[in-house]
Formats: sequence, C-alpha cells, structure tokens
Amino acid sequence: MNPGPGALLAWIPGASPVHRAPLWLKYLVLVALGLLGTVWRTAPVGLGLLLLSVALYALAGRAVLRTWATPLRFWWWILLLLGTYQWFFVSPPAAVGLVACMFALVQCARLLLLTTPTSELLDGLSAAAAAVRIPPERTALVLALFLRTLPELSASWGRSREAAAARGLKRAPLRTATSLGVMAVARARDAGDAMAARGLLAEPAEHPSEPRATR
Amino acid sequence: MSSPVPVVLERAAVTAPAVGGVAARELLSPTTLHLNDRRIALIGANGQGKTTLLRLLAGLVAPSSGSVSVAGLQWARDAKALRGAVGMLFADTAAQLIMPVVQEDVELSLRPRRLPRHERRAEALAQLRALGIERLAERSVYELSGGERQLVALAGLRAAAPRLLLADEPTAALDLVHRDSVAAALLGSEASLIVATHDLELAAECERAVWIHGGRVVADGPPDELIAAYRASARGLAPWPGAETGAEA
Repeated sequence: MNPGPGALLAWIPGASPVHRAPLWLKYLVLVALGLLGTVWRTAPVGLGLLLLSVALYALAGRAVLRTWATPLRFWWWILLLLGTYQWFFVSPPAAVGLVACMFALVQCARLLLLTTPTSELLDGLSAAAAAVRIPPERTALVLALFLRTLPELSASWGRSREAAAARGLKRAPLRTATSLGVMAVARARDAGDAMAARGLLAEPAEHPSEPRATR
Repeated sequence: MSSPVPVVLERAAVTAPAVGGVAARELLSPTTLHLNDRRIALIGANGQGKTTLLRLLAGLVAPSSGSVSVAGLQWARDAKALRGAVGMLFADTAAQLIMPVVQEDVELSLRPRRLPRHERRAEALAQLRALGIERLAERSVYELSGGERQLVALAGLRAAAPRLLLADEPTAALDLVHRDSVAAALLGSEASLIVATHDLELAAECERAVWIHGGRVVADGPPDELIAAYRASARGLAPWPGAETGAEA
C-alpha cells in the first residue's frame, strides 16, 4: 500500500507535552485558533498562527517537526491558486492573510491527528456522541472510515499514475481522476464489506451484488 | 475444540443483475450443500465461483434464490446474530484494514464489546501476540508487507471471535515463512474454517474439500481424492468436469 499524502495524517508515537495533553484540551485549542483564524483573517494573524504552529510542532518533538513542511509538497498548488486569486482580485495583504491562516489551521488540525492515536480520537468522539444521544459506536465507525478515506484516495491516485507510467502513457489528469472516482466507489464498497466481515455492521446484503472479482 | 458450525445451502444461487447493456449472469448455480466439518477447502480454477460462495456464506451477497443458513440461522432473518458469528478474510487484505495503526485496527474489532480502553488494548495485544506479530503493534498499516498484512487482518478477525471463519486465498503471494504462519493460524483457530484456496498443500490439511467449477459444486469429499482429480484436469490429463456435456472449461 502506497501511503501517499495520506500518511501526512498518520499518528507519530511520542511522549511530548502535546502527545500527553488531554484530548479535550487539544480540541479546545484547535477550536479557539480556528475561530481566531477565521474571524480575523489578516496577514499579521495568519503569520502569527503560522509561527505558533511551528512552535507547537517543535513542542511535539523532532519527528513531528520534521513533517511540518511536507504538506506543501502536495497542497502547494491549492494555496498558490487561492493566493493568486486574492492577490489580484482583493489585495496582497488579504492574499497573505488567507493563505497563512488557512495553512496554519490545516497544520494545527494535522497536529491533532499526528499526536493522538486514532482510537483515542474515536473514544473522544464516541463519548461526545453518547452525550447527545447519537449512537456512539456508529459515530466512531464513521470517523474511522473518514480517516481511512484520505490515505486510500491519495494511494489510489498514486497507483493510477504509476499504472499509466508503467505502460508508457503520458500524464492525463482527467483519465487519472476518472479512474480515481471508480476506485473510490469500489473502495467504499470494500470498506463496508470489511466492516461487515468483522461483525461491525448488522445489516444483511439486500441484493445479489454486481459481478466482482471471483475466484 | 468446539464442534463444527453447520452450514446449509438449499438450492442457493447467485445471479448478478443486468446492468445497462450487460445481461444478468449466474455466478453460482442453485447449490445444495450440507457442510459440517471443522476445516473445509474450496478448490477450483480462477473465476469459477469460490469467492461468490464465500461471500454468500458471509452475508455479503444475498442469494437470488434458495436459502443459506449458518448454525441454524439465516442471513435474511437473523443478520444481527450472524454478523458477529461469521468473519471473512478477504483476498485483498489491504481493503480489510481500516485503522491506520496495527493495534488500533485490531482494537476496532473489539469496540462492539464496549470494553474499557486499557482492556481493549490488552486484548488487541494478546491477539497480535498469539500470531507472533506483537512487534507490529505500533506500525502503520501502510508499511506492512503482504504477509504481515495478512496476519494483522487475521488478528483483527480473530478479535471479533467469529464461530465460522471464511478465508479467501489467504496464502496467495506469500513467502514460505508467512504462508506457514497464516496456514497454521487458520488451521489452529478455534473457529470452524472454510477456505477458498489454490494452495493445495493447505487444502490437503483440511478434512473435506469441495471442488467448484463453472459456478457449480462438481465434487465434494476427501481432499486427497479431489486434489488429485483437480490436478489431472488442470494439467490436461483429464477433462474438466462438465466438459463432456459442453460446459465451459
């Protein structure tokens, strides 16, 4: 399995103060910074949040800090597009504010995932869901599936490109995206089957399935 | 050892519905089978219906006609009770691992039991230890080799404590060390086992074999006899079952 950019969200074990911080505190800080960066989306706030994110990554340890800039390898074009649009159609400070706030908040959200085991996230979400009478285990499964989807999609993207390259085909984003869409549907079905095969879903199959790989 | 879980198919068939311009296709002809052994191997060439039969038993596909019961319960009626009792190891175990870290993936199977976190972790570690892969507990599932992935997927399944374990090509593409580990874990499992396999050595270790060809059960009996007959057909020394009546080989 090629992790691709999805691995950017994988938990990095550690014993730093950020790792040891309780989940509620991490969420609280994330929400507070999210509000700050959304309401006051100015260049000074954005740059301040960026610096803060670097500091928090450093506090989480060297292994986590090393990954700080890695998302830029995959997502730089989104920031460039947004920044260019804002630069020319709004103002240069607005562009800096938007891009910096957005990237800093993404980094803070990433830090939560990097320093918290997924099962702990699921426990936290289950407890919160139970408090508002939403089925806790089902909620946890939804989050598990969501977290699984991102690396899966990025790995599928990589596989499509590699498969094309292996046959000497040129890059074709539309063809890759089409194949990605098909794979995403297949993977979603597989994930449902995987849950069922481990006793995590109770609903029976309602119809004979479409032809699938058979042996 | 617990007694085998009885599995009964009464004229159970699976037909893939017509989609767009593609006509409906029969994946499994009406099949009647009474399986009551602890270790059963499904053998046969690729694309002949072994996976379809396993998916039918796992409740992942509904029969288009007939009925399927496991331990006296039917999927159509008793899905909730059956879901935890039947587990299936997929041929593509990459699709089977849901959580990003090995131990968390095994823990996921334990969530329905609502254990406290420390007990859940201890139990997950015990499952990994039982398969000799405790060292992988903190590894990312994306970094596992094919053999390790197979063992982790098996640990996740065993954690759900199924009474009937279905395995689809569990030893395909594994090196000898991992092949032996997976085979030993499956054959030594407390649960009853039905395994679809091209690994005839593994099939020979089962108590019973079922040969599937062209979506039909063409032979059912002691593994040694069936394996010999299957080998003869595969090597062109004997016709494929049904070939004399014009069925596709």
